[in-house]
Amino acid sequence: MASRTQLLVISLGRRLSQQVKESVLAVQDYVILTGRGLAALITPPHYHRELVTQMDSIGVKSLSIVVLTGMFTGMVLALQSAASLDSFGARPYVGRLVCISMVRELGPVLTALMVTGRVGSGMAAELGSMVVSQQIDALRVLGSDPVRKLVAPRLGAALIMVPILTVISDTVGIFGGSLISIFNLKLSWEFYWRSVLNAMVINDLLMGSVKPLIFGLILSSVGCYMGLNTTGGTQGVGLSTTRSVVVASVTILSSDFFITKVLLMLFPVG
Amino acid sequence: MRETIRAILGLARPAAPLAPEPPPGPHDPDEPIISFRDVHLSFDRPILQGVSFDLAPGTTKVVLGGSGSGKTTILRLILGLLKPDAGSIHVDGTDVGHLGEEDLRPVRLKIGMVFQEGALFDSLTVGENVAYRLVEDGDVSPEEIEARVREMLGFVGLERFYARMPSELSGGQRRRVAFARALVARPQIMLYDEPTTGLDPITCKTITELIAKVRDLDGVTSILVTHQLRDAFNVARTFMARENGEFVPRSVEDLSTLEGTEFMMLREGVVEFRGTPHELQTSEDPYIREFLS
Repeated sequence: MASRTQLLVISLGRRLSQQVKESVLAVQDYVILTGRGLAALITPPHYHRELVTQMDSIGVKSLSIVVLTGMFTGMVLALQSAASLDSFGARPYVGRLVCISMVRELGPVLTALMVTGRVGSGMAAELGSMVVSQQIDALRVLGSDPVRKLVAPRLGAALIMVPILTVISDTVGIFGGSLISIFNLKLSWEFYWRSVLNAMVINDLLMGSVKPLIFGLILSSVGCYMGLNTTGGTQGVGLSTTRSVVVASVTILSSDFFITKVLLMLFPVG
Repeated sequence: MRETIRAILGLARPAAPLAPEPPPGPHDPDEPIISFRDVHLSFDRPILQGVSFDLAPGTTKVVLGGSGSGKTTILRLILGLLKPDAGSIHVDGTDVGHLGEEDLRPVRLKIGMVFQEGALFDSLTVGENVAYRLVEDGDVSPEEIEARVREMLGFVGLERFYARMPSELSGGQRRRVAFARALVARPQIMLYDEPTTGLDPITCKTITELIAKVRDLDGVTSILVTHQLRDAFNVARTFMARENGEFVPRSVEDLSTLEGTEFMMLREGVVEFRGTPHELQTSEDPYIREFLS
């Protein structure tokens, strides 16, 4: 007869294997959903109206928070870096530091996190509400493919708008840094901008443009997956929304490390 | 539920063993338009256990049962939104249990579905909701779409709500718009999932009269899923009579004279009763007596 401890271990083992199985299945479903969404982007029929609506929602309506975030990040970066650089007598390098930090890391990551909070959660909530109110079933019954109609336009809009928002965030951030450099650090306008332009190399631009594409795909696909996977009525919608923000944010931050590692290997700096 | 996304992705539960596919073609009037044969479905627990029934063209089946008895599941299986674990489901000669999303499209075009809460698209106006299927089909002109939508909204008495948003409608109005949306493509089969739940008695009467109107005037085959006995009997009793050149709803008092409507009662996924409204009303089965009381 098995002892209590053995039974407990067996029960824990079963639960763990069930969890692992469910997680693997979830990843498989997520990958297939994303793949089908991307395939629907390049094959007809296309839902142009939905794409434009989503571009407005992701791009235009996120502009204010992205500008504010970029501006203050650039300003803080200038202040902090000046304090550190002063000890080496390297204050003139503030522009260079702000520029590289914004374009390579902070611009893409902060923009993606802001858009995840505002739009990714909205996608999960909207699609989740559609699931619990049977609108997804109604779509299928009325002859529409929910992936083509709902997922593809969201992926497409995020792939277009997140890189554009990132460029805006980078620009505003560097501009914010220039305001601090001129009015607080007493550097000249020309000196700051020359330092910025000298710092920027093609690898920085490459890194700054690859990341937003991947982050846009992550935040929109996670939002769609969580939304379509909603269970448990209105309470479930709330849960999906929270999950989508948490999962997308963690995935963005962790994938940022791997993307940086790969890009630095492919295109070494200096 | 994971089922939703797996169904959307075409990863729905493993289908039942393949059965020979009957050749597509015009429906034989003597053949049932919907046929369930020993259908089984389980999730965490058994939902349907060996359900079999036939539905002849132009007739109505009222599916009764308590919550969780598997009533709505039957409608979802007919639409191909769920796949059976075992058994076969034929709709107009096509086995829908094995079809993918693309192949289900022609079958679904023959069916109109009124969901429990209407399931109207929140972002579209009433007119756009009703027009949805016609717009998706893409081969109907905008003028004809508008004419058909207005005709359908007129049929359910809501033509003046054409430009309103679903959020501006009452529960009963939403169900009526859902009726119009389901009817706009002139389906052969109508499925009603608890269309009167949560509505006041007067609105319930309007809805049951609409069901009778669609059945009697267009000869549409229908399945009504409900746990509201009063509405189930009202649908069976109501018929459209022509008076002074207009069709008006009238009611049959003697249930024993009713034809064309069959009642089926489910209990924990098993068919507990099948028969006429009169047979249901006079049944001595203790469970049915309790349900009727």
